[in-house]
Amino acid sequence: MTAARRPARPLARTLHPGAWWLWALAMAVAASRTTNPVILALLLAAVGCVVVRRRTDAPWALSFRMYLVFGAVIVVTRVLFRVVFGGGRGETILFTLPEIPLPDAARGIRLLGPVAADEVLGGLYDGLQLATMVICVGAANALANPKRMLKAMPGALHEVGTSVVVALTVAPQLIESAQRVRRARRLRGGREKGRKALHGILIPVLEDALERSLALAAAMASRGYGRIGATPPRARFAVGALVIGGLLGMAAGLYGLLDAAAPRHLGTPLLLGGVAVAVAGFALGGRRVRRTGYRPDRWRPGELVTVASGAAAAAVMVLATRVDPADLYPSLTPLAWPQAAPLPVLAVLLGLLPAVLAPGPPSTPSRETVA
Amino acid sequence: MSAPADPRHADPRHVDALRVGPRAAVVLALACAIGLAMFCWPLLSPPEPEAMAHAGDAPLLFVLLLPVVLAVVLAEMSEGGIDPRALALLGVLAAVNAALRPLGAGTAGIETVFFLLILAGRVFGPGFGFALGCVSLFASALLTAGVGPWLPFQMMAAGWVGLGAGLLPRRVAGRAEIALLVGYGVLAAYAFGFVMNLWFWPYATGPGTELSIDPAADLGENARTFLLYTLTTSSAGWDTGRALTNAVALTTLGPAVLATLRRAARRAAFDTPVAFAPRAAAPSTTSAITASTHRSPEERA
Repeated sequence: MTAARRPARPLARTLHPGAWWLWALAMAVAASRTTNPVILALLLAAVGCVVVRRRTDAPWALSFRMYLVFGAVIVVTRVLFRVVFGGGRGETILFTLPEIPLPDAARGIRLLGPVAADEVLGGLYDGLQLATMVICVGAANALANPKRMLKAMPGALHEVGTSVVVALTVAPQLIESAQRVRRARRLRGGREKGRKALHGILIPVLEDALERSLALAAAMASRGYGRIGATPPRARFAVGALVIGGLLGMAAGLYGLLDAAAPRHLGTPLLLGGVAVAVAGFALGGRRVRRTGYRPDRWRPGELVTVASGAAAAAVMVLATRVDPADLYPSLTPLAWPQAAPLPVLAVLLGLLPAVLAPGPPSTPSRETVA
Repeated sequence: MSAPADPRHADPRHVDALRVGPRAAVVLALACAIGLAMFCWPLLSPPEPEAMAHAGDAPLLFVLLLPVVLAVVLAEMSEGGIDPRALALLGVLAAVNAALRPLGAGTAGIETVFFLLILAGRVFGPGFGFALGCVSLFASALLTAGVGPWLPFQMMAAGWVGLGAGLLPRRVAGRAEIALLVGYGVLAAYAFGFVMNLWFWPYATGPGTELSIDPAADLGENARTFLLYTLTTSSAGWDTGRALTNAVALTTLGPAVLATLRRAARRAAFDTPVAFAPRAAAPSTTSAITASTHRSPEERA
């Protein structure tokens, strides 16, 4: 319907997951360049807008809310930690809590005591920055199809990459699992606190996670995952020789670089040569993994626009740190009201572009037509 | 995967979920040596003050090279193909670790990432421990966005913690085992802080203070300065916090978590090869897999 009314609009389809990840990581890089709460809030709004407009109805798309909650938890814990362990460095003391003396052995840790506004605000800014970066990653999780992401790992790291993807996918599910365990405990009238409660929640959650991993393994094995194609012994030998030789070269190069007695000019070339040989072995080893792609994702204009928008946002933000760092890191001593300069705002607007320019998700007609 | 069950692994309390072959062991040893050299660079080659002003070339090179070394090692460890069960366990345990890590928020050394790593390394063997250390920190960095120049160093050091846990003597059981793991946890906490400090020492202090590196001094002199630096800045406070977290978590939760992990290891039946057989023979050979798909009824509600 929308397509008929506005023919210039790109056809609805799911984007390459790599494009969303690159965009989100670029946005996280942009967030990592500032602790200014105004800019971070704008960035969060932009990311949220893109997610709401471009996510599908898939289950992983619902995880975005979890990341928002998680971000809030990060901010709150950071501030609480500053209050409890902060140690009252700062000029504007808000209030003073009774300090708990610790033995000399735990030096560097101070419990409670005076709470300074600079400390609390510093925790808030740092926490907000970290939370924004987490929520950017959450946006990638919500937008990118993790199953399609599995396909894009380099051959030699295929297995380890798979386990990373499993970890990233399972982590949000753990929260849901913990909620389920807590609900079950409440229904059974379990009201223990402290250590027993931790036992009662952590162990079932771990059990649940391990159950899930075995179920996943069974699913993978039953689809033939983990079967090794026949690698000729000569190829295996070549890979082994290249990798070991490369690492030996690197070790020798390091020795040349670090030992004052060894000729210094030999170090760097040997080190780099070793790296090149090891990487060649790595690439050759990757050819052992033979995968065929069913409907492979291709890089088309929509993907390129998305990545370019993220990269532009990050680049403008990095440029902004060069031009005027004071705006991006609001001063805590003396306390100053954070300002939003035009350049960081431009970066945020650039990052917002996929909300309009990227092709919309398929099979969600209602959202677009109602609006 | 097609390897027959090894009598060495008949002991159900320890399995080698990720078996490291001789070739992978050589690569791992070489990579550990290279990694150690990259950690110890300030002692081996004290930077000149002028070089420090330009942040030094060599350590920057290391930040780029250590990921390559890690990639090569992990690729070599999975060279024979990782068992899907080990792979799924690796992913899920890394997810739990990544979820545990922000609980401490890195404040005052409360570090919650090690205790599960140590227990998993103990149950699933050294190779798995190393991989879990690397994958955990990588996944956790992606999730809580701690990606930075320190990440490869953290991955390597955490890999060592898991590797060491897998190499602890296997005979010990019961309370003695928990005591052993607590001892190792405390040691690992200090060692982790020590190497992470060592790598960053010249940048942390800058030149010209009491605790700075002295390019003119010899190895022993600089080592003494570094010991003083690490004792005053972190060992007493932060590293002690980390060691205490490890000890408390291992003592209170260790036995239950060990039992849970061992139950999973038994159910995964790593020593039973998965074989794809013709239809008639299928039920018996894949029983290890199908048995593991049953969900416990406890969580159905």
